[in-house]
Order: sequence, then C-alpha cells, then structure tokens
Amino acid sequence: MSDGTGPEFIVIGSGPAGVSAAIPLVEAGRRVLMIDGAQPSRPPDASMPPDQPWRRMLGATLTALRPDDELSPKLRTPVALDVVGGFQRWAEIAADRFLPLGAMARGGLSQLWGGFVAELDQDDLQGWPVTADELAPSYRVVTERIGISGSIDDDMAPFYGTSGPVLPALPLGPTASALLSRYAAGKPYRDFALGLARNAILTVARGERQACNLSLGCLWGCARGAIYDARQDLATLRRHPNFQLRDGAIATRITHEPDGWAVATTDGAPPLRAPRLLIAAGPLGTLRLAVPLLGLDKIVLRLLNSPVMAIPLLVPRRLGKPAPREGYTLAQLGFRLRYAQPPTHYVTGGLYETTALPPSSFAARLPLGRRAGTAAFRALSPALAIASVYFPGHCSTNFITADLSGDQVRVGVRGDVSDDFAAVTRLVRRRLGAIWRRLGAFALPGTTIAVAGTDAHLGGIFPMGLADAHGTSRYGELNAAPGIHLVDGSVLPSISAKPTTLTIMANADRIGRRLAGLA
Amino acid sequence: MPQRLVVTGASGYIGARLVERALRRGCEVVVLGSRPAGANDAAIAATPWRLGEPPRVTALANASAVVHLAHDWASDRLDGTGPGNVNLNGAETLARMAREAGVRRFVFASTTSARPEALNAYGKIKFALEERLRALPNSEGGLFCARIGLVYGGPERAQYGLMAKLASLPLLPMIGLDREVQPIHLDEVCDGLLALALDPPAGRQTVVLAGPTPMTFGHWLRTLRRARHGRRLQLIPMPIGFALVACDMTKAIPFLPSVERERVLGLAGAAPMASAEDLAALGLTLRDPADALTNCRPARRRLIAECRAMLRYVAGRRLRSPGAIIRLARVARRDPAFRRALPRLALRWPGLLRLIEPIRPSMQHGLSRRLHLAAMVAESLPDEPPQLGLGVLTKEMLLEAGALPFRLAFARVYA
Repeated sequence: MSDGTGPEFIVIGSGPAGVSAAIPLVEAGRRVLMIDGAQPSRPPDASMPPDQPWRRMLGATLTALRPDDELSPKLRTPVALDVVGGFQRWAEIAADRFLPLGAMARGGLSQLWGGFVAELDQDDLQGWPVTADELAPSYRVVTERIGISGSIDDDMAPFYGTSGPVLPALPLGPTASALLSRYAAGKPYRDFALGLARNAILTVARGERQACNLSLGCLWGCARGAIYDARQDLATLRRHPNFQLRDGAIATRITHEPDGWAVATTDGAPPLRAPRLLIAAGPLGTLRLAVPLLGLDKIVLRLLNSPVMAIPLLVPRRLGKPAPREGYTLAQLGFRLRYAQPPTHYVTGGLYETTALPPSSFAARLPLGRRAGTAAFRALSPALAIASVYFPGHCSTNFITADLSGDQVRVGVRGDVSDDFAAVTRLVRRRLGAIWRRLGAFALPGTTIAVAGTDAHLGGIFPMGLADAHGTSRYGELNAAPGIHLVDGSVLPSISAKPTTLTIMANADRIGRRLAGLA
Repeated sequence: MPQRLVVTGASGYIGARLVERALRRGCEVVVLGSRPAGANDAAIAATPWRLGEPPRVTALANASAVVHLAHDWASDRLDGTGPGNVNLNGAETLARMAREAGVRRFVFASTTSARPEALNAYGKIKFALEERLRALPNSEGGLFCARIGLVYGGPERAQYGLMAKLASLPLLPMIGLDREVQPIHLDEVCDGLLALALDPPAGRQTVVLAGPTPMTFGHWLRTLRRARHGRRLQLIPMPIGFALVACDMTKAIPFLPSVERERVLGLAGAAPMASAEDLAALGLTLRDPADALTNCRPARRRLIAECRAMLRYVAGRRLRSPGAIIRLARVARRDPAFRRALPRLALRWPGLLRLIEPIRPSMQHGLSRRLHLAAMVAESLPDEPPQLGLGVLTKEMLLEAGALPFRLAFARVYA
C-alpha cells in the first residue's frame, strides 16, 4: 500500500460482487487489496477494428469457430469461451448434468452477462436474515452507480423495484412493440404482467461510458461500455490511493494466522495478509476456495439455481416485414407469471428479438439443408422472438460433493430438478402459450430447458443465517472462520425467479458498508 | 559454441531437410558434395567431394559429427553387391578419415530393409556396410546406424515422390500390398538423425527410425490417398513377376517414367523392425501420418477449393473475401470432418451440395458440420446479406423439396 502498511481487507475477485463490496470500504478510507486471476496478457476485447467483425465474432485466433454445442449463443462467443474456459480449467469441477460457469477474468461474468436486473421484495426475501428495508439503500446506491434503464410506470415496474433512479428506456424493436401494444389494449391479466425489461445499460452517456447506439452487437461485448461491466467500477477504484489490484494472482490457499488471514497465490509472491478477507470469486469459485479452508471433506452441500427454458415465438403479423437495422440483443420486454398460490411460485423472463443473433445457431436446429435453413431463419427473423423463462430456485435440487485427500481438492456438482418440475413446466408452457396467443404470438416447436447452471443464477451454498459450519452470519461472515466474509451469490439463502446480479451487488454493498464502519 | 556437422548427400530428399533443421537449431553445417538446391549459401560451407574419394581434411576439422546420407544408386545397378560398389569403400573411407580427423560421431543412414537376405541390392549393401563400419577400430560409442523406414512428407521426391504419384490415381495395380511398412515423417527422421549426431542416447549403436506400428503397404497407400486427396483408392493385387516385367517394359517405352526393379524388389522384401524403444530413447514421438499429411500441398489446395465452395453455398452469393476462405481452411486443417473430399462437381457448382446434405443437420455428420463452420465464417463478414423476402424463402423451400430424394440417397455417403 502507498502508506507502507499492509491492507486491512483483501478482496478475492473483481466481478460485480467484489467491486461492490470494495467501493464502500475504499470510499471510507480503508486500505483494500483486490486479487484477481485474470491473465494480464489477455488481449483487450473492446478495441477490435470495426471493419473486421469476424475478430469479435470468431476470436482473433478463431477460438469461437467450432461446431455447435447447443449452448446459448451467448456462451459461444470468444469472450465467453475465454472467461469461462479459464475458470473451468482452474476449478476442475466435475459436473454431471450441470454447466459450471465461473470467470477467471477481470470483471468476472459481468463481461458476458445479459444485463437483466430486478430487486427482491419482502416476499422474495423469505428465510433471509435481511429485510427489504435493509437492502433498499444498497439497491439505490448500486442502481445509481451502474446505470439502469427501463420504465417506472408500467405493469412490471413495481415488480422490478423502485429503490433507485431509472434511466429512460431503450426504444422497443418492432416485434416487441407489437406484443406490448396488444397487451396494453387488452383486458388486464390476473397472474401475468408484461412491460419493458429493466437492463443495466446506459441510454445517457456517463463518464467514460457511452450510451447505447443500437448497433445490434451486444452478444459479442459492448465496445462502448453502455452495458454495465464490473471493469468500469474497477477503473474507478484504481484511482484511489488506498486501493490496489493484483492481476494474475490466483488464490490457492487460505490459512489462519494470529492477527488475521493469509492468502497464498499462484504468482509466487509471499502470502498476502490482512485482518479481514472478502471472498467474491463467484459461487463456484468461492466454493472451490472454501472447501479446503473449512475442511469440507466427504460432505454434500445443496446448490440452488434458477432453471431456465427458452421458447421460440412467431408473430405472424410481422411476417414479410423488413428486419430492423438497429437495436440491441438484451431483453426488450420482461414478464412474470404466477403459477401457484405461494408468493415465491412465479416465473419471470425476458423477450428477445432475433434479428441480430447468428443465423447459424438456428439453422443448425432446423430440419432443413443449410442454405434453406439459413434462408428460413433470415426470412422469418423479423417475426421471431425468443422468450426466456426463469423458474424459482426451489425447483432445483442440485448438490455439491466435496472430497479432500491430502492437498487434493475434489469438487463435484450434480444437476437435478425437483419432482414437480416437469408438471410446473407443463403448466407454465400451457398458460404462457395461451397468453402469447392472445398477444398475437405462437410458440414454435423447439422449446428447450437449458442444462442446469447455464442461468448462472447460483446460490444457497453458504446461506446467511444458517447456524451450521458452512453457514454464514447476516453479513456473510463464515461461522467457522470469523474474519472471512463471503460477499457473492454463494451466501444467498434462496434464489427467486428474478435475476440475481443486482441483489448480489446490493448485498455486497451492504456488507462492505457494515465493514467500513467497524473499528 | 555451435556444433559443427558434416553432411553428405545434402542435396537429397532427407539431406536437404536435415541441413535446414540443423541450421535452425544453430548448428554449423559443412556439406560434402553438392549443396541443397535453393539453400542460403552464406550459412553453409560446401566442399567438392564424390563418394569414394577421400574428403579434404580441412572439411572435417572441428566437426562434432558426420552424417552420411549419400548413396550411389548407379553403382548398385552396375556393380551389384560386389567389391566394386562405390558405396562400400566410400563410406568406409569417410568413416576412417573422420575418426582420424577427431570427429567423435559418425551417423550412417541405413534402412529397415538392411538384411543379408534382402531381395534388392540396396538392402544387401546397406547391411554389408553396417557390418563393415562396425568392424572399424573404436567404433563403439562413436558409430550409429540409423535404419530408416518408409519416409513421407515434405517435397515430393525420392520414394515419397513415387508414392505420391501412385496415390493420385483412383485405381492402382500394385505388388506387395500385404507387406508391412513403417512410415515416418521426413522431419521426424531428421530429428532422429540430429539427435544421434548431437546428443546420442547411451548404449545404442543401431537405432530404427521407423513408424512403431507397422501397417500393410496397401493400407499405407490408401492412407496417403485419403490424406492427400480425401478420396478412396482401389488397389488391385499384382504378382511380383508381372511387376518386374512391367518395370523392364517401362524402360523400353520412350516418354514413360521408368520404374526401377530395385524399388519393386525393395517393397517385396520389406519386413518390420521394432522401433518403439529406439524412438523413445531419442525422445521422438511420431505423429499420426494422417495428421502430419494435412499440411501437404494437394491437401491444402483441396481444402481451399472446398472451403471456397462451401462458403459460396451457405452464403448464397460469391464472397469477396479471401480472408474468410483462409479462416475456414485454418479450422478445416484440424478438423477430421474435412478429410473426406467433396465431389468435384460441387466445387464447380456449389449449389449441388444441397443434394448431399443430411435431412437434419447434425454436428456428427461430416458435411453438416463443415457447412455449419462455413456458415459461421460467412455470417461474420462485414458486408450485409441482402434482405430476404418470402419469395426467396418459397424458392428455397421448393428447391429443398426437389433435393429431398437425392439427400435420402446420398447424405450417408458424405457422413
């Protein structure tokens, strides 16, 4: 540190959780050292020449030019393969019917997230040791900081939350417009609501970040910085003299010392020491570090995720119309559907237009030759949309197995769903199908349920408020390792059907604020 | 200080590549006899020399090793295995003088057909030479005989040039199809020879530089054709006597390339030798020939032509982007799905690919997978594809329906 004394806090991970916890600490004048496994030599991805889109789409070394593996197109971009691949090589998680997503890169998974955000309300927070009122100030701070656009007065606005300021929405694409106008003109629904999606994307320039220019390139990473990315906060943090970033340092071992904690890293430097440690390596990364730390040998832990389903829709009114020349591939509309009485039994999701998506990933699924398949997709795409539907975390029954033998750490994740999930998906498909038809859209064959973990909405591993050895306090402090706070999704006691990132950031902010105030 | 290497036969198939690789490793190279064609003259010292003559002593000064590759084929033909064969005295004189000049190692290029009972003179002579060199005083620890298998790859010369020519034919009458051969890539041979010359493993005087798992000659020819041309080879077994008569006839007929009896006899007499241990001791791991050959010229040329056709088919228009073809070809070279050649007609009229695609795309189907990669490359180009109306879609669907019977029949062929 610049004043010659060691850090008061070490933060492991530079993703949305890490920066959100570090900001209140740094602003309060505390000395913070952040470590991050990113390889400093990684080429910058935002500086691609605009006349060579293939570099962005296939990667300069053609890493993304490979056969279709049926994953979401989002996960097949060069950036995603790089960010996620690095994590998977490091974590060596044995996954069964589960896709272990994590990041070994600056900014973590926010380099490739979809930007969809929502606040949890008191019903969503059932079983949490934290109330909505306690989270609200943090939601406001984070919302102000990252810039969120959407509507504040449509049917979905109260569902997404009202704690922070909301920027004007992006213009709707023609297909989304067609659906929304039908919705507004019709009778209200009892259990269903539709409105503008709420996205962490700037519609007004701010600092070094430019506003969205509707260039349709979202999938491959926003070169303008319009979509929030934790690297933007990291740049702000690095302007503070009491903040330091150590790149290329992968934490390998955490040990207890009389006056705090020591973190050994792969970069060969002596262990880093601080009285308090904040782990924000993402749920699976944090798990990987916590298993040896807590001595979790021959143990089974639960892991929640939000199962996700994709439904292709056709809007016949739009057939033969020109494809929009500008737009964005984040969610355009958001919806929710309550499918049963208990307050957490709802699904939520987004509606995406398809014109900017690569035709190859659709043509690979059509029972047609390649030329005809591509033509079919391109001719139909102005009338196509994709609805993603997220289910609440209690539909998932994944579990984690941990094994320690000497220095060997073996972590396995097995994906599974609850017994009633098949019935729930049938019910949801039927009810949504009827609603789409009323709105003038038809579900096409080809609905898929993504492999668990694709959603990256993970939690419930080290729940806040749980008294066990793998539980944490209401400030994410490990019961079995005082002084270590987990500040990412791993401590969320439950996962709702809403996207988790904003809540993870608000929770990390809340914990950071609390720690900043401690003597 | 760089090690100095003296090389004979440096203008030959193996010699030229050996010199190139030795220079790349930082060795100084002195060539006895003619230098490799097109080599950078400044880097190589050359001394006039003919097999059988004593070399100038200055040429051998301060050398760490001599690699003796030169072989006089004419002398085998004229003098047979008799004492007049210049190969015998030539190698012995060279080895003796090298030892006198203080050169520590002498690497002799022999063959896996080196046997006293070999059918051709070449095998017999190489065997006799090994014996003679071993009998020289103090040969222990300084003499290495490398028994080289069937060498492929690199420029199309020597035995490989002949086989490359044979593999370009769809139908081939051939002898010795069930004989076992041990292919090894030219670069691997050179690395093995350099290992012997610069840093030999202890306790091995004779090493076998040949593919560790022998394959039949017929299988090898098919592998060669598949790798170079992506096509199948029909082989017709031919009796050896018939082949020898045919050889003699090629000499009588003007303008026809003549085939030596020696080569035919060499093939008929091939028998495998165990090489795995020697290769391991030399630190060599041999590549699968099918992988190693993806870089040969006909394979590259074919891939480029196919990538161009596939891009044109999936894009539905002529793409003005050589970069796109190169990008697709780069991935194609690594992907076994591309090893099977497309029909030649489809290269001329890419639209015909529609007739051999599977009904349902699958990444396991070779052609479907190739077209998917081509589509990814095509859609990553900056020029906007024209807006597609429903008219185009209708036309495509009609064509699709028309292609259906063909696809039912042919899609399996290109899986």
